[in-house]
Amino acid sequence: MNWYGNKGSYSTAPEICAKNIASPDTGTLCRTEDLIEAGLVKDRAEYLAAVRNTAFYLAEKGIAEALSEKDTGLLQMVRMLDELDRVINLLTERILEWHQGETPSASRKYTRAGADKMLQKLAKNASNPAMKPVAREILSLNALRAKLTKEVSAEADKVLPNMSALVGGLVAARLVSRAGGLKDISRMASSSIQVLGAESALFSHIRTGTPSPKHGLLFQHRRVHNAPREIRGRVARVLAAKLAAASRLDYFRGERVPEFIESANKKIDDLMNGGEEVKHD
Amino acid sequence: MIEINGTLVSPGKGGVYGEKMINGYRIWDPYRSKLSALWYLDKSTDIASDEVVLYLGAANGTTVSHVADYAESVYAVEFAPRPMQDLLEVAKRRKNIIPVFADATRPKEYAGFLEAADLLYQDVAQPDQTSIIRKHLPFVKAGGRVILMLKTRSVDIRKSPEEVFCEACKELEDAGLSVEKTFWLSPYHADHAAIVCKKI
Repeated sequence: MNWYGNKGSYSTAPEICAKNIASPDTGTLCRTEDLIEAGLVKDRAEYLAAVRNTAFYLAEKGIAEALSEKDTGLLQMVRMLDELDRVINLLTERILEWHQGETPSASRKYTRAGADKMLQKLAKNASNPAMKPVAREILSLNALRAKLTKEVSAEADKVLPNMSALVGGLVAARLVSRAGGLKDISRMASSSIQVLGAESALFSHIRTGTPSPKHGLLFQHRRVHNAPREIRGRVARVLAAKLAAASRLDYFRGERVPEFIESANKKIDDLMNGGEEVKHD
Repeated sequence: MIEINGTLVSPGKGGVYGEKMINGYRIWDPYRSKLSALWYLDKSTDIASDEVVLYLGAANGTTVSHVADYAESVYAVEFAPRPMQDLLEVAKRRKNIIPVFADATRPKEYAGFLEAADLLYQDVAQPDQTSIIRKHLPFVKAGGRVILMLKTRSVDIRKSPEEVFCEACKELEDAGLSVEKTFWLSPYHADHAAIVCKKI
């Protein structure tokens, strides 16, 4: 059987051909002559046009499906947020450098004023008039970041209810984005989730035998970075195991599972409070 | 292939990705395209105007657009949705490109489309590059050519590029191909090897 159907039921209509593609027989290859013989096309150009139509039909359908996955929007949002972070840090560093370069007495040592406060000061009374609008723009980018952060968290709560309940919407969204999508992370081993974002450390471990990374993006979660150094790796490992389960719940079930969240959180909190790891069979 | 004063070009309507033109021909940049890099290293690389090409790992359709300028038709396989959107746009303006949205590790899903190809060209950054070639050999004409762009860093990070390369050559020979020529694509692409084979 070929994409244009069995003898007697030949067609070049994309919808029908698309169905035939799904159950092919690799033994027989397509030949232009077969379609000409069947009277469906009159020459090679028409043959190619018919194959192309089917190919376009399938590709457009496939892309539309891939883009309508429920995590598409979240992935784009969290990537935008991370990029925004980078840009704001870069611009802030630059403008503070600029300010110091123009003001002899300016220094950031022994001052408690954070970058945000400095920016507000510069926006109001910078010595150089060109600096004011720049500071104002950075401040408004800051406001935008705060707003987008909230929106990412809210969207993650909806799309990744179980993962978000364990590590918060932001970290959950970042993990999923790094993995490539909800489908991809739901197929990952928990040990891979544990070191997502620590790829360079992982590869240097594999290649040259440096110590293996204990955590990647997961470090951003408070229960990991607040844990005492000795048990941080253990917390990260247990948390990653629970996240692997949570990602599967999110992908396949798509709704909050309170019993799971409660027992998972309890296990991690017990570990944090110095309790021994409870072994399950 | 057409060259103008030592620069590889292809005949066709320009403006696909902002490529430069000379005398109405599109310049084919070896730093952007591995196939072009191969031509600069081996001037006998050619695509004839009556050849059917099966192109795996089409990505955004940059190299595909040049291949289509030379070949009779190109079956371009790509699996990632975002690059596929670009590939469709390129294919809309070049009637001899058949864009296949599918996973090159599962040829059965689109085998129904394919016809016998004169040239199988593969540039997917996957660990199982040689097994992808093996799966597609039924779609290559006897005596047809196979060009594999081996990204040695994608195969196994623990092995040196040379080791990965030697293993790949051996696997291709085992699959029933005769390895004709091999090149490292430096200085154009780091840690990439081109393996040119013939199907016996």
